[in-house]
Amino acid sequence: MLKKFLGEWNTKTIVAVAIGAALYGVLMVWGSIPVFTNTNLTSAMIVPVVVGALFGPLPAMVSLLVGNCLADLIGGWGFWFDWSVGNGVLGLFVGLLPMYGADIKNGIFKIKHAVIYVICCIVGNALAFGVVTPIMTSLFYSADLEITFLQSFAGGISNTAVLVIVGLPILFILSKRYASRTNLVEEPEELTEE
Amino acid sequence: MNNRFLINYIPGSTPIHKLNGTTKVLGFIAITVAIIATFDFRVMLAIFALCMLGVASMKPNWKPVAFMFGFLFVMNGIIGSLMVFLISPESGLTKTGMETIFWQTEGGKLYMSWELLWYAWAMFFKRVTSLSSAILFILSITPSELAAGLNSLKMPYKVCTIVSLAFRTIPDIARDFTDIKNSMQMRGVELEKASLPNKLKQYVMMLVPLLMSSFAKVENISNSMDLRSYGKCKGRTWYSEHPATKGDYIARGVIVLMFLWCAFYIIFFRNINAPAVDFWCPWVPKEISGYWF
Amino acid sequence: MERKPIIEFKDFSFKYKIQSKATLHDINLTIYEGEKVLILGPSGCGKSTLMSCINGLIPFSNEGTITGSCKVNGRETKNLSIFELSKEVGTVLQDSDAQFVGLSVGEDIAFSMENEMVPRKEMIPEVEKLAGTVGMQDFIDALPFDLSGGQKQKVALAGVISDKVNILMFDEPLAALDPKMGLATIELIDQVSKDKTKTVIIIEHRLEDVLYRPVDRIILMGEGKIIADTTPIELLNSDLLKQSGVREPLYITAMKYAGCDISKNKTICDIENLELSDDDKEKLMAFFHEETPEIKKEPGEEVIRLENVSFGYEHGKNVVKDVDIAIKKGERVAVVGKNGAGKSTMAKLITGIHRPGKGHIYIGGKDYKKFTVKEIGEQVGYVMQMPNQMIVKDIIKDEVELALRLRNISEEEITERSSNALKACGLYSMRKWPVDSISYGQKKRVTVASIMALGPDTIILDEPTAGQDYRHYTDIIKFINRLNSEYGKTIIFITHDMHLAIENTDRAIVFADGEIIADESVYSVLSNDEIIDKANLKQTSLYRLAKKMDISPEKFIEHFIRYERMVKSGE
Repeated sequence: MLKKFLGEWNTKTIVAVAIGAALYGVLMVWGSIPVFTNTNLTSAMIVPVVVGALFGPLPAMVSLLVGNCLADLIGGWGFWFDWSVGNGVLGLFVGLLPMYGADIKNGIFKIKHAVIYVICCIVGNALAFGVVTPIMTSLFYSADLEITFLQSFAGGISNTAVLVIVGLPILFILSKRYASRTNLVEEPEELTEE
Repeated sequence: MNNRFLINYIPGSTPIHKLNGTTKVLGFIAITVAIIATFDFRVMLAIFALCMLGVASMKPNWKPVAFMFGFLFVMNGIIGSLMVFLISPESGLTKTGMETIFWQTEGGKLYMSWELLWYAWAMFFKRVTSLSSAILFILSITPSELAAGLNSLKMPYKVCTIVSLAFRTIPDIARDFTDIKNSMQMRGVELEKASLPNKLKQYVMMLVPLLMSSFAKVENISNSMDLRSYGKCKGRTWYSEHPATKGDYIARGVIVLMFLWCAFYIIFFRNINAPAVDFWCPWVPKEISGYWF
Repeated sequence: MERKPIIEFKDFSFKYKIQSKATLHDINLTIYEGEKVLILGPSGCGKSTLMSCINGLIPFSNEGTITGSCKVNGRETKNLSIFELSKEVGTVLQDSDAQFVGLSVGEDIAFSMENEMVPRKEMIPEVEKLAGTVGMQDFIDALPFDLSGGQKQKVALAGVISDKVNILMFDEPLAALDPKMGLATIELIDQVSKDKTKTVIIIEHRLEDVLYRPVDRIILMGEGKIIADTTPIELLNSDLLKQSGVREPLYITAMKYAGCDISKNKTICDIENLELSDDDKEKLMAFFHEETPEIKKEPGEEVIRLENVSFGYEHGKNVVKDVDIAIKKGERVAVVGKNGAGKSTMAKLITGIHRPGKGHIYIGGKDYKKFTVKEIGEQVGYVMQMPNQMIVKDIIKDEVELALRLRNISEEEITERSSNALKACGLYSMRKWPVDSISYGQKKRVTVASIMALGPDTIILDEPTAGQDYRHYTDIIKFINRLNSEYGKTIIFITHDMHLAIENTDRAIVFADGEIIADESVYSVLSNDEIIDKANLKQTSLYRLAKKMDISPEKFIEHFIRYERMVKSGE
């Protein structure tokens, strides 16, 4: 179980986490729809889900954290650690997929997993943006707690929306596509029709 | 594609550029700690001036820098302050210790005090300072120096390679992203005009090929790394990390002083002798604020 | 002198864990020190797996079952780690982009030294030396994004070529290069192999290009077995190439058409030094004067017209300059030129992704200014290079219907149009299959079908055959040609591949630095030295052959193409 949580940190995982981080950075900068101050409906949120599904929660978290810093560096809106840390916590939760038996590499993603996934998304967002980020924001910037909650609440809602509306269909499609790939018996060309 | 990023892949030639990665990362940490530690406008102003001096010394392209400050001003300066005013106008009192109301609605639900304005301004300025330090850091460092610098500060080297590898793949992925987006647009995906839920649904169509083709690269890249002894030793050396020069030692001296000052400031001014309120305000008497210095 | 065996396979077999059948069967092969060996074979023949067994990727990163023995330098690879092996075996992988992991040339060359914890002081001069051996000494600080594919490959070579490495392997080094860079790479590999302590192994399916410089031995593989282990001359003389789906060099095909006896010719492998006997010359002349049907097509109405079009990403820097093109219905056009010459920008202009800064573009006779990208997509379809960059859905039929559903078309019409597209692409009976269970070539068809469903007059294909072996290549090309001949679609290929251009198009538009430097028949382009040079193309071996015969290369190439098409249509 612990091994599933930590992921296997071989070269493949390192590369995948790096690519995940790069994807996150790119999508954060070019694939987002701004809705509120400091809040984006961003397709980047999907990255930790996929990295988590393929490699486990810890890799998901690392790719999200690095990706976040990267996005801050290339996007040019400065470092905001309060949000980065919150995102890291969220990454851990949405990346939990292998822990409850979802295995999209082998085509296993059922309704049951979808339900747990949605719960994880909600709990993760509540914890990350209902607790972690507001506390850090008020510590760093002595911002008013009420406002901070409001801001991060908006962030949490929009993240959850993306994670569910965009994330679920992607998980279903990816698991189907990876499944048809693993079931094949060598020479796929033999399947010709005509 | 390259010049769209703020971070530069090629090292510059000014004194700050020439510092090595370790010094730059250390410096950034020191400044960040200092910024987090203080709510005193006078201290923030000093840090801000220091950072901007550093930024100016690197002779940057001011346009994106100005844009970043503008963006921050709109997001936090205007909208943020407006929210403070609408949601918790009493912050003026709680954060600075006094309240001099000069305008209010009937019934007093909404009101404006000079202290509230100062609080909003000081809070915004803290973010400005924070941004200026980030800009200083981003402009000074290259991704390879960042990776090497993090490693020398005991960050596991595998994490550091993630950072540099991510920077390496960003331009490729950004290119794939636009290509895939274009091809999906030709097939009829509309990302601009659609309604919000529709827009999200259309993103799915773009993300699936992007994710599949991006993660398909993993195998090749990791093979080429395995074949070149990646992960063989407990650590690794860095081609891009030049040994510390005289400039580095001077800078590190300054950084050590800064850390000492931070420690002193945090222990003495924020704990033993902590003021009663967070924010220093020029006209609030020190008996009230506790800012006796 | 006794030759020293450096790589020895004995009754070696390998099966990947995830596959049900073995990928390599009973391999018995010895390669000697200092040899230059070509491992030849179609995709999926096991040649890359063989390479992975030598450099240690198997079993290090691919699990599977090994039987028999494989020794490198006298030591059993099973007992060596990938790190120990990498000190003796240097591998240059196929994807020159993926293997560039550093953020600058110097950093990438230093990558293995960094991992070996070599101190920076020793690293710097070593990097300079290595960069010098591949001719990249002036680019040490350059970024990967500013390098051409050929330059990246040089860097990759420099990164693995340290003194101790005595075996160098190149996995499909030509796959991603334009013709001229390909020649330079073969030249570079040849220089490396001049050092007789280094053993060089090239893995390729493009025989003609590799033979630009001599190799000692060719190992032909097919279906996981070694089919032939022989000299180039013997291989060219046999029928083995045809049987195993590897393309023989064009000049050999021409000589075979002419009925020349090549079996006694000792110079047959090298077109540069090829000696033709009087008999050969006579036969080739007779072949040249044979009657062939003229390739004439009735030009249809104009489908695309670019008038004086200029475009630049940055102000004042045009990447496409004053371009005039008119393309008629039913034409097959090749757009060629170096990377960055403006050919893909032109495709983006035609599809409306970018709009001209100056000039006009007419689609179907109408100025396309008012059309959206979506609307243009119904008239001009664009097929990306890699099928994976386009495929969204998991079932073939859903993928083909995707673009139709996005246009709110009625259900009956969707079914009708998608069925027609599926039929045209030969996928109808497979329509319910999962996309990822079919081959690369079939996936390519799926992407074309998904574009066809929209009913465009013109289809633009970006490098449709890149990285494909001859069998897949022919499969894809046959299919595209049918869309042209049976469905009257205008086809625009954006490509480096001159074979593709010669055999399948009527006209070539050549770009250099954003301008059109030629817009004429493929054979006249290929017999014009200046254009060939400017566009990073290379002369085909047919050109050389014609020169040796003292006949007009243009006419000879034209004759060859006509003859080839005649033979193929008769098949």
